[in-house]
Amino acid sequence: MKINSSDFSESRNSVSLKGKTVVVTGASSGIGMVCSVFASKAGANVVLIGRDNARLKEALNALNGGNHHIVSQDITEYDKLESIIAESVNKRGKISGFVHCAGIELTLPLKNMNPDSYNKLFSVNVIAGFELARIIAKKKYIHENGAGFVFISSTMGVTGQAGLVGYCASKGAVISGCRAMAIELAGKNIRVNTIVAGHVKNTKMSDELFNRLPESAVEKIEEMHPLGLGDPEDIANAAIFLLSDSAKWITGAAIPVDGGYTAE
Amino acid sequence: MEKDRFIELLKETLEIDESIQLNENTVLTEIEEYDSLSTLGIIALIDEHFGKKLSGEDLQNITTVKSLMEMIGEDQFK
Repeated sequence: MKINSSDFSESRNSVSLKGKTVVVTGASSGIGMVCSVFASKAGANVVLIGRDNARLKEALNALNGGNHHIVSQDITEYDKLESIIAESVNKRGKISGFVHCAGIELTLPLKNMNPDSYNKLFSVNVIAGFELARIIAKKKYIHENGAGFVFISSTMGVTGQAGLVGYCASKGAVISGCRAMAIELAGKNIRVNTIVAGHVKNTKMSDELFNRLPESAVEKIEEMHPLGLGDPEDIANAAIFLLSDSAKWITGAAIPVDGGYTAE
Repeated sequence: MEKDRFIELLKETLEIDESIQLNENTVLTEIEEYDSLSTLGIIALIDEHFGKKLSGEDLQNITTVKSLMEMIGEDQFK
């Protein structure tokens, strides 16, 4: 096979989101905020969804130029989600990307868990994300050329740890649900992938967890990551790639970005 | 909260056998059931009943049941 450099157009081998509208949940802090910034740097118009309006405004200020939009909303108020998406499409155009970064963590022994604890975890980590995906995938909201959906899961979705029965279950549900979603939405050219994230430091979730754990447990978590703990940027880089056309043949994948956690 | 009620809740959280006595002078760290996982249960118990968020480091400074009650705040108990 003869190869000419002209065969490789920029759109096929660069990580660009130029002109795309991308919706990000959990955008007011941590991984969600960095995903929003990186999406804007890649050329996207970003719809930032989060609960904390003041922090959303801070995130908005960190974004590269473009036509961005913030929405202060608790995503577990499911009946509000369609109007948010409809308004976003009205203001920023049809959607080409969705990143579900919003998530909560709960470290509790099984004996202390109850139906409320499971409901809280699943409502944010799973149901709100799947509901938004269902709405965004509607013909009236999704871009004619298709889209990329990225769900931030966790190494806890594929491995187990004591005290994390509910959290592990919710992150496992994200991975398996996204596989089914990938098959179902392939006909609309919507790709659905999950990032199996290792422990990311310098986030509110990480700080709160490390505050509750004894020092020995924190050291153990660090030791389980051969490359050390991650930064939000490590996850955001993978998310932007999965949103872009460079990942146009990737769907239904659960991609570890975990500093080697699951390699052991 | 009544001190006896708190001690009952503590026994439930740590799953200490009914036959074993627990009182203010019991040294928690000497109880077989008191481990790093059960301390997370105690943190949740205190958060739920007293609205106080203790850290793992706080719990490392605990010795007796009384010292735990002091950390929660003596005014919280009758």
